[in-house]
Amino acid sequence: MENILEVNNLQVSFDTYGGEVQAVRGVSFNLKKGETLAIVGESGSGKSVTTRALARLIPSPPGRIKEGEILFDGKDLAKLSDKQMQAIRGKDISTIFQDPMTSLNPTMKIGTQIMEGLIKHQKMSKSQAKERTIELLELVGLPNPSERVDQYPHQFSGGQRQRIVIAIALACNPKILIADEPTTALDVTIQAQILELMKDIQKKTDSSIIFITHDLGVVANVADRVAVMYAGKIVEIGTADEIFYNPKHPYTWGLIGSMPTLDNTEESLVAIPGSPPDMLNPPKGDAFAPRNDFALEIDREMEPPMFKVSDTHYAATWLLHEYAPHVEPPEAVKRRMKGFASTGAASNGEGDQS
Amino acid sequence: MNQEKLLEVKNLKQYFKTGRHSVVKAVDGISFDIYKGETFGLVGESGCGKSTTGRSIIRLYDATDGQVKFAGEDVHGKKSKAKLKEFNQKMQMIFQDPYASLNPRMTVMDIIAEGLDIHGLVKNPKERKARVHDLLERVGLNKEHANRYPHEFSGGQRQRIGIARALAVDPEFIIADEPISALDVSIQAQVVNLLKELQKEHGYTYLFIAHDLSMVKYISDRIGVMYFGKMVELADSDELYKNPLHPYTKSLLSAIPLPDPDYERNRIRTEYNPADHDTSETPKFREVRPNHWVLCTTKEFEAYKKQVKN
Repeated sequence: MENILEVNNLQVSFDTYGGEVQAVRGVSFNLKKGETLAIVGESGSGKSVTTRALARLIPSPPGRIKEGEILFDGKDLAKLSDKQMQAIRGKDISTIFQDPMTSLNPTMKIGTQIMEGLIKHQKMSKSQAKERTIELLELVGLPNPSERVDQYPHQFSGGQRQRIVIAIALACNPKILIADEPTTALDVTIQAQILELMKDIQKKTDSSIIFITHDLGVVANVADRVAVMYAGKIVEIGTADEIFYNPKHPYTWGLIGSMPTLDNTEESLVAIPGSPPDMLNPPKGDAFAPRNDFALEIDREMEPPMFKVSDTHYAATWLLHEYAPHVEPPEAVKRRMKGFASTGAASNGEGDQS
Repeated sequence: MNQEKLLEVKNLKQYFKTGRHSVVKAVDGISFDIYKGETFGLVGESGCGKSTTGRSIIRLYDATDGQVKFAGEDVHGKKSKAKLKEFNQKMQMIFQDPYASLNPRMTVMDIIAEGLDIHGLVKNPKERKARVHDLLERVGLNKEHANRYPHEFSGGQRQRIGIARALAVDPEFIIADEPISALDVSIQAQVVNLLKELQKEHGYTYLFIAHDLSMVKYISDRIGVMYFGKMVELADSDELYKNPLHPYTKSLLSAIPLPDPDYERNRIRTEYNPADHDTSETPKFREVRPNHWVLCTTKEFEAYKKQVKN
């Protein structure tokens, strides 16, 4: 499949009074047409900053893209002027924000908010735009849209507002949809509906989605591929099956181990000790080493490169080096991997499983 | 399990006036018991009244109707100052938002010791200091943290301070209102493990309120499911997950995403439609099988009973 977006060595920093906060420290990945890439990680891991940089939504100052390129449609988005970017943002790349309660303008009718992009980018007339708006609201499953276009955000529930935000993002048939924790503020039942809706729309429009979340359950539901971020870097990337059934990075083990499963209550959860590093002074070597039970001597000295596990699966941990001792994931994580496999999943044992 | 009742909630109602003629029935006649030493989980979507229930139990709201009995004594109603103080010491709360629930102008030492001072549990500053240091260590922080201010801590650490504050006065019963939903996944596990360990050591009784069902299942012995101010199902947590009876519980369970791509690909979600119930009869809370209660009409009751037998 062709790549629609390529990110190479992206670095984003914020200049603060305390010094330079290195939020994103060299992120590279690509996005294929029609796929969903999930980015997971804790708050402060740089997942939101990465995607905001893609849409050039980093306020500058204090933020700046220090290095790297974002290749989209033959252009390097990192080097475009604000004016040039405005033609792309909202049209080819659009964003669904986390909080549906605050991302809509409370003083504008929802119809007008959806029409904005259509009039600006598609050069539609007002009446055309309104027609299309009603279509969009139907697409996202809002009941009797022709009446509701003229209502204000406060007249809708949280789930409905998120549907409206999705309608705004979809208005110009974007090639890339960035969803920044679109369901975190919603209840599980509503969350399930929104996820189904997004998958449905993706099938119809063949757009690519970058999905940010910290909920591994949601990742398993939506993602084709998963990138795990820690301290401003991607530490493991692979297909959803590879990440869940054959994780290689100790941080990924920790994330999987800290989720309770529904059928066990006896053992305690595998918590990751400590808290994420301060990005004002990122630690030397592997940033995860201080919290990692499996850290090697070298982790404190040198940062691990990306090791190849399979053609689609890479992980940045020295444990994959040929001289590294053989380390097994913690029991709880292994049981989970096995438990998953026994539910009928194809176990994928490619790569160096020795 | 020890079957001594610590808390009895009977037909608790909490209404809020929202206008001259409109009333919100946040909690509409729920009843349940919590036994000594157990963890009782309360789940439901936002707005179902689960937090209000917790807050009414600890008297942050005055109940509209119904009874809450703690260790045989009525919680609500008129009380002398001394009685109230005694009650406040036995029941404590851990709040949802670790950023908003700690006073930014107080040191950690003063935050934790506030309860000790009010209840006169320490005699001199030396003892006070020792108690706070001990509490900090109990929740996985260290002594040096005592003289700092809340803004110097991360979310997970703040939640630990909130827990230390609740534990300071040696309570018997702790209400944890969404104690982990504001925290990161890796930190959530730390806090849940801590709560479990503390319970094992000191025999606390918890009311654990949350919307994250998998976490509630993990920590609770029994679970109550709430929907629009009513308790729709109550059972042991394993039983509830294996044999959910009420259609709302079923839809809630089927909506939880699990970290397993293969399971997710084949997941079938059931939707709950409140209109499916027979509305000619007011549903009642009935025991379908020992310790498994469901809100149902007589007809549904028979159907559930049959279902359980198979």
